[in-house]
Amino acid sequence: MNGIEQALATGVESGTVILYPALGELIGQRSGIVNLGTEGCMLAGALAAYAVTASTGSPLLGVLAGAAGGSLIGLAHAYLVVRRRADQLASGLVMWFLAVGLTAVLGASFVSESANPLPIWKIPGLGSIPWIGNILFDHDPLVYISYLLVPGVWWFLHRTRAGLVVRATGERPAVVSVAGRRPDVIQILAVSFGAGLAGVGGAELSIGYVDSWFDDMTNGYGFVAVAVVLFAAWRPLWVMFGSYLFGVALASASVLQAHGVSVNQYLLDSLPYLVTLIALVVFTRRGRSQAPESITAALTNTS
Amino acid sequence: MTATKQPTTPQRGVEAPATPRLQAALASIEWTRFAIVVLSYVVCLCLFGAVVAIKHASPTGVYSSMIHDALLGDGSVVEVLTRSVAIGLAALAVSVPARAGLVNVGGEGQLIVGAVAASGLGVYVVGGLPGPLGWIVMALGGMVAGAIWAGVPALLRTQLGANEAVTTLLLNFIANDLVLYLIYQPWRDPSGGGQPESSPLPGRDLLPNVLGSQINLAIIIALVVAIVIWALLAHTGWGFALRVVGGNQEAARRAGLPVTKVMVSSMLVGGALAGLGGMLNLAGSQNQLLPGGTATYGYIGFLAAFLGRHQPFKVVLTALLFSAIAIGNSGLELNYGLDGSVVDVLLALLVAAPLWLSRRRKEIV
Repeated sequence: MNGIEQALATGVESGTVILYPALGELIGQRSGIVNLGTEGCMLAGALAAYAVTASTGSPLLGVLAGAAGGSLIGLAHAYLVVRRRADQLASGLVMWFLAVGLTAVLGASFVSESANPLPIWKIPGLGSIPWIGNILFDHDPLVYISYLLVPGVWWFLHRTRAGLVVRATGERPAVVSVAGRRPDVIQILAVSFGAGLAGVGGAELSIGYVDSWFDDMTNGYGFVAVAVVLFAAWRPLWVMFGSYLFGVALASASVLQAHGVSVNQYLLDSLPYLVTLIALVVFTRRGRSQAPESITAALTNTS
Repeated sequence: MTATKQPTTPQRGVEAPATPRLQAALASIEWTRFAIVVLSYVVCLCLFGAVVAIKHASPTGVYSSMIHDALLGDGSVVEVLTRSVAIGLAALAVSVPARAGLVNVGGEGQLIVGAVAASGLGVYVVGGLPGPLGWIVMALGGMVAGAIWAGVPALLRTQLGANEAVTTLLLNFIANDLVLYLIYQPWRDPSGGGQPESSPLPGRDLLPNVLGSQINLAIIIALVVAIVIWALLAHTGWGFALRVVGGNQEAARRAGLPVTKVMVSSMLVGGALAGLGGMLNLAGSQNQLLPGGTATYGYIGFLAAFLGRHQPFKVVLTALLFSAIAIGNSGLELNYGLDGSVVDVLLALLVAAPLWLSRRRKEIV
């Protein structure tokens, strides 16, 4: 593998860490709720996945635990915002703080422990296509599931009755209510499910991409996921591109270093955030008209 | 609230007996409310106790350790005051833009760049200047750096519509990488041993303690700044404009207020406050840039600002409380084997309580 191919392959893998939370955040935002606690959901998911994998030896159980851990934090956020009418952004940050503290306390004993990571499956046939094989088809199963999840989320939101209800809740909760559904329940379900996906992203981080657990290991990826949803203008395929863009920026830092390019590691580390920021600025103008109405309200009129 | 409505019902005959009864009713409502608020914080303390109990630490032991480290220990009150400089100014950096309806989650990054600018100026530029002049240059440098770090998201918001909560957050991570870059490479102290740290400020650039006490000048400066901000918000046209813009942008625009300018100015002032906080933290207590030097004070400040409902005095008091809680972690790791971040759980719970109660508040108002 040459440098570019390696950067792209690693970019897909690290991009998947962002892709799951971003898809989750997309669903939650379509229902009208922003979850800045996505960062916290990822942390909870990362620890839950690592702890369960380390104790049971099964990465599958680990991923499920990761999803459960993320959902739990998301459920708390959704409850505060939907049922107690708390400020969305403040509640999200509170959930993040809560997760930082809880995972640091509960995860202390797992820092030095090793866990059986997600297996790497090279897809027969597809995996041996030059370039594409290495970049797309030589990863752990969560990466392949995400390939299906992206069209799946699009299909759900835009082609099913339930998806229509979720989107309608994000636009006009009152209309949904008149139609005989409960917008509050729909929002709580959407946000908790999305937070579960964020937990899976955390699992991909701790038992896939990095294969270890340490404090605050998500390093802002959850916030990046929120940014990706905004600049992708709530479209799943664009969320995928945005996540891979961050992933490649993240991977190119380490690949450049491995190839002896003498740029300071920390300057390279800031690159993915810079790329995300620029993408957010460049694409926001076009995306805003597509925003679910409740999201526009939540993001522009707080305090 | 109900009391202000009372005069609008003109029932002169029955007014006299009705008013005391009404006041009594009102008083009883306030008491119920008060009890619920107190109860919710007690629940917070119990939940935190439960969290530490999971790790086999005694909750009462943990609380007494925290109270000791934050209040009773030798010099601990001074330590709380010292830390509250950065937390308090970062909190005001959230509150000023919040008045104008902007969400500044970038206090952390603004603290960092303020400290970076102050450190750079202090170590490499102002060495020769006589004391006060050096401090002034460092403080101005920190404020400008913080203002830039907050001003960019403000402009991105007003000109391009990029959400400022997200852009300020992303800039925190960039600022953190920037300071790591500086202390690992160009600004690394050659005599610092194995630790990555910047060269310490020369002695004359450090802020002294006041009149032989243990109170650092930084604390006094921060207090004065907080009072100035209160005065600006409460008693000037600018403070009023912030509230109008924050209350209803469209109305403000129709009333002829320069909405964009007001919004950007609020972020610039906020960023300058946090930048000053970074400078004071550096020159008043830390002396040099360290990895993780701001220790999430910017985020703690955000929570403090929210809990203080963006009213300067309440925000400052909350910052003091949060500073005490943040200091309280020092004995927990040593004596109870708890990670220092455990206090983040308590901070989060304390802010979750009013979030929990927000429905009640909104129904009454």
